[in-house]
Amino acid sequence: MRNFALGALMLGAMALPAAADYTIMAPANPGGGWDQTARTMQEVMQAEGISPTVQVVNVPGAGGTIGLAQFASQNAGNPDALIVGGYVMVGAILTNASPVTLADVTPIARLTGEYEAIVVPASSPIQTIEDLVAALKADPGAVSWGGGSAGGTDHIAVGLIAKAAGVDPTKINYIAFSGGGEALAAILGAQVTAGVSSLGEFQAQVEAGTLRLLAVSSAERIPGVEAPTLKEAGLDVVLQNWRMVAAAPGLSDEQKAKVSADIEKLVKSKGWQDQLAQKGWADTYLSGPEFDAQLQADIAATAAVLKDIGLVK
Amino acid sequence: MNGDDLRFQRRPDRAALVIALILAGLGGVLLFDAARLADVGGGYSGVGPASAPRVVGIGLVLLAIWTAVEAVLGKFPARPRQDPVPLFWIVGGLAFQLVTLKIAGFSIATGVMFAFTARAFGKRNLAFSIPVGIAASFLVWLVFAQLLMLSLPAGPLEHLFFPGVK
Amino acid sequence: MSSFDFLMQGLGAALDPMLLLYALIGVTLGTMVGVLPGIGPALTVALLLPVTYGLDPAGSLIMFAGIYYGGMYGGSTTSILLNTPGESASIVTALEGNKMARRGRGGPALATAAIGSFVAGLIATLLLAFLAPHVVKLALVFGPRDYFALMVLAFVTVSAAFGDSTLRGLTSLFVGLALACIGIDQLTGQARLAWGVPDLLDGIEVTTLAVAMFAVGEALAIAGNHAGTDDEVIAVKGSVWMNRSDWKRSWVPWLRGTFIGFPIGSMPAGGADIASFLSYSTERKLAKSPGKEEFGHGAIEGVAGPEAANNAAAAGTLVPLLTLGLPTTATAAIMLAGFQQFGLQPGPLLFATNPGLVWSLIASLLIANLMLLVLNLPLIGLWVKLLSIPRPWLYAGILMFATLGTIGANPSAFELGLLLVFGIMGYAMRLFGYPIAPVVVGLILGPMAEQQLRRALSISQGDWTTLFQSGVSATLLALSAIALLLPLVLRAIGRGKALSQFGGDED
Repeated sequence: MRNFALGALMLGAMALPAAADYTIMAPANPGGGWDQTARTMQEVMQAEGISPTVQVVNVPGAGGTIGLAQFASQNAGNPDALIVGGYVMVGAILTNASPVTLADVTPIARLTGEYEAIVVPASSPIQTIEDLVAALKADPGAVSWGGGSAGGTDHIAVGLIAKAAGVDPTKINYIAFSGGGEALAAILGAQVTAGVSSLGEFQAQVEAGTLRLLAVSSAERIPGVEAPTLKEAGLDVVLQNWRMVAAAPGLSDEQKAKVSADIEKLVKSKGWQDQLAQKGWADTYLSGPEFDAQLQADIAATAAVLKDIGLVK
Repeated sequence: MNGDDLRFQRRPDRAALVIALILAGLGGVLLFDAARLADVGGGYSGVGPASAPRVVGIGLVLLAIWTAVEAVLGKFPARPRQDPVPLFWIVGGLAFQLVTLKIAGFSIATGVMFAFTARAFGKRNLAFSIPVGIAASFLVWLVFAQLLMLSLPAGPLEHLFFPGVK
Repeated sequence: MSSFDFLMQGLGAALDPMLLLYALIGVTLGTMVGVLPGIGPALTVALLLPVTYGLDPAGSLIMFAGIYYGGMYGGSTTSILLNTPGESASIVTALEGNKMARRGRGGPALATAAIGSFVAGLIATLLLAFLAPHVVKLALVFGPRDYFALMVLAFVTVSAAFGDSTLRGLTSLFVGLALACIGIDQLTGQARLAWGVPDLLDGIEVTTLAVAMFAVGEALAIAGNHAGTDDEVIAVKGSVWMNRSDWKRSWVPWLRGTFIGFPIGSMPAGGADIASFLSYSTERKLAKSPGKEEFGHGAIEGVAGPEAANNAAAAGTLVPLLTLGLPTTATAAIMLAGFQQFGLQPGPLLFATNPGLVWSLIASLLIANLMLLVLNLPLIGLWVKLLSIPRPWLYAGILMFATLGTIGANPSAFELGLLLVFGIMGYAMRLFGYPIAPVVVGLILGPMAEQQLRRALSISQGDWTTLFQSGVSATLLALSAIALLLPLVLRAIGRGKALSQFGGDED
């Protein structure tokens, strides 16, 4: 397609392109994680010949719930429609009391995931996660946490940490920033005490020594990352910010199987694996009944945390 | 701005009074919504989600009073005389596009809007301008939806040339 | 090798004719899509990024840089000629630029925008190349309270520069602020003024409001005024090119705009729109005759400064991106994705670990910037001809592209409905002499000011004196106070005589 676009423009000619196949909705603005996931899928599906032409549609808003609602209502039974979503959407559905939930679409598979990391600026007197927890216990208000939007994965992580440390989660001083970039700048500038975001956002800074990595939210230590898990530090918190792909509601079993097969082909392709390595995304592919069960567990756990933080009544 | 408007200058300006009412209403809506959120605290900042709407709401109410005073004093500038018919054509065209976009597709919905707008500016022959509009819109659709992969809704016309396009 | 050697090497490599062709294609595509009202540089780059995938790294990098600059520049063309800003950073360009176009001076307006963008892009890219590691240290000093103070300064200076009536200017601003309250409150997750409508949860999109109020409102106002004879657009009067006086009046604003735009763009929460606002009010304050009298009626300084600021800010956003790996705008986030395909991991070590790629990127940006000028200067004559299209077709076309931009950015009936409603509002506001720009300014600055204030207070645990405890914020707040009070003091002392010398707003 791109060669076509170029060729046509250079020659000034217009030919008839092939029909579009999959349409992937990214329920967010261009540039975010879901948009990048959708556009990477687009590129790989086209390059690997899974689908000749893939279109990406951005429907931004409200943690993906606007896109989700539009997707569910307009695509019932359409086997060519896909939507990208993730853990943030689970939280947003709850905080916004969205009438459309993930039960109204056909979740296909979890694709990628990132763990959360707790950092402090290099200049901070706080050396370990234990120091941070001690400070939090002494005066929760004095520990300001910089992270993404209210009710998002980062906020949930702080709530879980407070709860695990025996601190009232409603007392945390969480400062929501728009987007990872602004939060990272505030952390680097030591405007806040500590920062929470996905590990990838911090990794380059940690390597450069401008941020100190205190802990990660994985179940086990991540190879190549020199930081304890929260569990090791005695905080029973495991959290993954995952991204998934779902199909339209009302698909027949054959249709669902075909989409699942296409996604599996995508995930197993070399092109996809190369992209993951390049972007630093972990392959957390999970599909079928295992994924459905995991999704239900995540939804239940998130609902509980959001209640504890006081974002959902 | 023509001369005979000067005669009205000392009279209360009715339209400006309506503006004052609208502003007061808008301010009221903000204050009403702020009241609903009043019990949500701002955490450690002490400034909750209700504070900004409250400040803006009060500001709007004060501006409404100021507007009403100027209206009574007749201080508003004179307005150029308006011809409502072209306005209806443009608004109608946009509304038509809005309603039919999903069903008729980009080219037809936008083409009709195009022709209605041209009608508002004096091109009365819709039998000519509607086809022109649809053709132009289809060309635009070709370039942006097909070449540049912008997602624009397709309808019967688009399907005629590109079966299978969504 | 020194930085300079690296840059020369990069430039030398980029002078290959094939690469120049890629740069030209990139600039053309970027301008084409960027010209659409409602489609800003972020979406332009996102849409066109796949075009670069098939090329080798050097070619794809240079085409990418072209798309970026083309997308940035595209918005100013429609702002000037059609009073339809394509994105928030070109709103002030529309203020003076369109007035110039109406007086038959669309050519010089476009030329000063193009050359100003080039000059700013050139200087800012060089600043990026040689000063980035130092600039970023300064940018990180800015915390929420300093940003809040910056917003206050932007509010004070910008609102002083709009309109001839304090009442109507303030009213417009407050309408914008009221619209800004709609949506989820970012700090608590609470929905405000959404009345259960999911489409309102994310608030009012700035581009939708701007396109509606400027493009649709303008079309309605001109159609409604059908009987009247005013506002007749003159395609060209005099030369399409800038004359001696235009040059003389433009070059200082270009430089000032660059030095306002670059630092603000490199701040993680700055942005090209704020830079363009500040540049506009600076030019308005500093303008000498004849510019002083022309402000509000098409002063070339008011196009030259903001356009330069806007482009310099765009180059400025690359500072945190390349030095920290910090994507501070949506455009930057997409660029980050773009860089990753070249195996370039932006971050603090980038300049040390991957100098070759960084310098070829910077060289590509310089070449693309030059290409933009080469492409656009000859096209100005053609662009200006747009205005000689008969009005029915011109306005039908404007609305076609305005709706195309809105549909393409977010294909929902709700967004089109907003476009119509705000269009009618824009028409009504024009009818009653309300300025349009403050509404958009309020919508942009309002949420930023509110959020930064609340963040600052949250960090200080509710202590308001925190606002004066940082040197940066105390200075900025003091400047705002001077900007607000000086005209009043002068009025009191000089009984209005001194005021006119400062170009303030008299009502």
